[in-house]
Amino acid sequence: MTEFTVSNFLQLTVNGLVNGTEYGLLGLAFGLILGVTGRFHFAFTFTYAISAYIASVATIGWGFPYWVAMVVGALVGAVCGVIMELLVYRPLAARAGAYALLTIFVASLGLAIIGRNVISLYWISSASLQIGDFTNKGINISPITVSKLHIDMVAASWFLIIVMAVVLRYTMLGRMIRAVRVNPEMSLAVGVNPGAIYLVVFAIGSFLGGVGAVFEATDTAATPDMGFNPLFYALTVAFLAGLATSPLLMGGIGLGLGLVESWSNLVLSLQWTQLVVFGILFVYVALRPVRVMAMLQRVLPSLRTRAMAR
Amino acid sequence: MELQINYVNQILIFVIFAASLNLLMGYMGQVSVAHGAFGAFGGYALAYLFLHQGFNTLEGLGVGLAVAALGGLVVGFPALRLTTEWLILLTLAAQIIVIALAQTSSSFGGTYGLQNVAGLSVFGHKLLQPSDMLPLFIACAVITLLLCWRMGESPYGRVLRGIREDELACRALGKNVYSYKLAVFSITAAMAGVAGVLLVVTNQIASPPLFSFDLSTTIVAMVIFGGMGNLIGSVIGATVLVLLTPFFENVLSFDAQKASLWRLVAYGIVLVAVMMLRPQGLLPEGAAPIRWTSNKLARLRGRRPAAVATPAVAAAASGDGPPLPAEAAHGAFRDPTPIAADEHSLAGVRLPTPASVAVAERHDPRPVGEPVLQVTGLSKRFGGIVAAEGLDIELRRGTITALVGPNGAGKTTVYNLLTGAIAPDRGTVILNGEDISGLRPDQVALRGMARSFQDVRVFPRLSSLQNVMLAVPDQPGEHLGPLFFRMAHSRQVERQVRDRALEWLHFVGLDEFAAYPAGALAFGQQKLVALARVLASEADVLLLDEPASGIDQQWVDVMLTLIERMRDQGRTVCIVEHNLHVVGRLADHVYFMELGRITAQGTFEELTGEKRLAEAYFGIA
Repeated sequence: MTEFTVSNFLQLTVNGLVNGTEYGLLGLAFGLILGVTGRFHFAFTFTYAISAYIASVATIGWGFPYWVAMVVGALVGAVCGVIMELLVYRPLAARAGAYALLTIFVASLGLAIIGRNVISLYWISSASLQIGDFTNKGINISPITVSKLHIDMVAASWFLIIVMAVVLRYTMLGRMIRAVRVNPEMSLAVGVNPGAIYLVVFAIGSFLGGVGAVFEATDTAATPDMGFNPLFYALTVAFLAGLATSPLLMGGIGLGLGLVESWSNLVLSLQWTQLVVFGILFVYVALRPVRVMAMLQRVLPSLRTRAMAR
Repeated sequence: MELQINYVNQILIFVIFAASLNLLMGYMGQVSVAHGAFGAFGGYALAYLFLHQGFNTLEGLGVGLAVAALGGLVVGFPALRLTTEWLILLTLAAQIIVIALAQTSSSFGGTYGLQNVAGLSVFGHKLLQPSDMLPLFIACAVITLLLCWRMGESPYGRVLRGIREDELACRALGKNVYSYKLAVFSITAAMAGVAGVLLVVTNQIASPPLFSFDLSTTIVAMVIFGGMGNLIGSVIGATVLVLLTPFFENVLSFDAQKASLWRLVAYGIVLVAVMMLRPQGLLPEGAAPIRWTSNKLARLRGRRPAAVATPAVAAAASGDGPPLPAEAAHGAFRDPTPIAADEHSLAGVRLPTPASVAVAERHDPRPVGEPVLQVTGLSKRFGGIVAAEGLDIELRRGTITALVGPNGAGKTTVYNLLTGAIAPDRGTVILNGEDISGLRPDQVALRGMARSFQDVRVFPRLSSLQNVMLAVPDQPGEHLGPLFFRMAHSRQVERQVRDRALEWLHFVGLDEFAAYPAGALAFGQQKLVALARVLASEADVLLLDEPASGIDQQWVDVMLTLIERMRDQGRTVCIVEHNLHVVGRLADHVYFMELGRITAQGTFEELTGEKRLAEAYFGIA
């Protein structure tokens, strides 16, 4: 537990904002995929981890500059996401009809397990990989300390969140994505190809996740199962915010979650704070079935038709 | 030798895990990725009580089972009203929370877990070697399988499958869906708890990695691989997936670390491959019961229905695992079925000829015309929208009442209000002298008011016969007490239920299709199955929502004849209908609804005679 002083409170707030930004970015990434395509893409954990691994290899192995390596890593993640949609989810959805949600979840779980263990097998000699070419330093603005990495991360993440908000709101592509999110069949009728939009969404979602992964791996290290907790935060943010929420609100919910988690240090000892977010989600799902039902009645029919769209 | 027995023990543990998860996920359709966490309740209970309280195996088993059951209830409560994606989310949260709690709490050993759980014994018999444990493990696995079998392949299991297919329709047939869910959640959690205890017995440790998310996904993989809704499949799934480890270690000579990674890769491949190549799993849901049914049917009709006998159809009729697309079932049903084109045939589908059967010949001795259902002042608002305002409705025995009105007038809402699917803001509903306002749909159904749905809502992967059997009231086998403690009685009643359901199918002219999955039938046939289902509930009051809409004219005649026959028997019928010919032919009394209010009532002739209504709605100048 952290003693309540003004400086502690400020430090916790900053930590919360840093983590919360990451949660918001991930919630946006996962929520975009689930909201638009209706695929419960559990293998997000794999595209996440592989991005970090590739970035590590690119910096340390191939001598790429940090930011280039990050983009390369995230792009590889995006390609993996697109391949999964093309080779697994789409054929499954075409066949499974009304049961597509469960079918795809199970297959996606399978992909996640395969991915994680293939990473372990390929990099079997080291339990984790570092990412190179980033000189981190602490920046002290009394009474708080924040690292350069965290500042970069917050800036880059909010940049991406705002770009996504602008793209979704003002561009043709954004309008097409929103059209498919609301009704894939109708959008087909007005000349938007939902299948192509799905691929774009998988690419964008996996890329955003990959950026987050590279930052996280820079902070600690890349491990085969590094995607699991982030997926859980992403799920929490996406479901709390609602799947059709604007990126900015998604980021805001992420910040809120990060702050609550961080501030809980003031009343709970450190090892218990990780349970706070899980607890929030559990209580939210548990206590609001009526509201949840009402929401589902709106979301589910479109998820079902979506499952059949190609 | 001990090494091989150890694998047998592992298999037995996973048989318990997989069979119980199958009951929850395959039979009842409630996805759970927290089954490993329920194992943790049992395993940690044993380890803790053994280390700190000196408990032994069986006491630990008992407590572990109870704690896990309690854990199942805690997760089951919020899961009551959730659909698939929220269930995934909820159980994922539960899995993470349970393991995080174990990891965080120092009394449970934190990250390292509770170690050195060694020296356990059963009846003074030390459990040192795998062979010492074998009898205990066999006993636990056999008991679990028997329990699952009894619960799954019985009237109880039929209700579970009904819940999987359509909760709302299940409640409308008088099943208390919530209590079923809570019971199955906690019973299967208790079984997982037992498996968790055994896992600790073999490993001599209770640690977070032992009960991690990996364990849960492994169990899911076994169920999916073996086949959802098939217990033998789960046994095979557990066996095959456990034996992958020795396969990789001994046959492919991988070292232990590599073998365990490859094993997980294989689990993942199993999940993806099964979903893509054979979504129903190795063994599709129970072929045997359906074959039995068709034989029974053949006996009843004195001949063998040719189409039902082909294995492909039997497989389709058995209703495959959830991932099976309805279209596929449909295709499997159509291809091998040569449908004779006789004079009744209509676009390749035989038209049913309603028959007289014993069940339908009973007459209600009570006087015709007596009010059975009295509704006063029924009102409901959704925000600012008036769905129903001050409705007064009376349904009389042995008559047909029609509710007509333009789309959006609130006719279906009236049914929802009457049956408790939606709680009214104000007003009373009195059925046979009893105030039933505020009761749940299942309670209303049990008091003798049954409804059909505009969108039919048959249970698509259950056979037509099972659809109707689900509706037959007072089945002891649908409750756990009689299911286990009055087996002979349950079995006897089950035979009567089957016969009665067959008679109702015969009554609507569909007995030939008894063994087909209802979802594979033509729409008109589905409506008749739904009608047979409503009739089989033996309710006094039948609320039918557009019984004649969306079906061909010839089917309409069949349907109307059946409804008239129900009226003549002394049942009280209410229909919502747009087709004025239908209303004119059937209705003794008509209520006209507009914007949630009843604005006119009388006989059909009186209403069509009213100039305003005739112009605005009936389209008769």
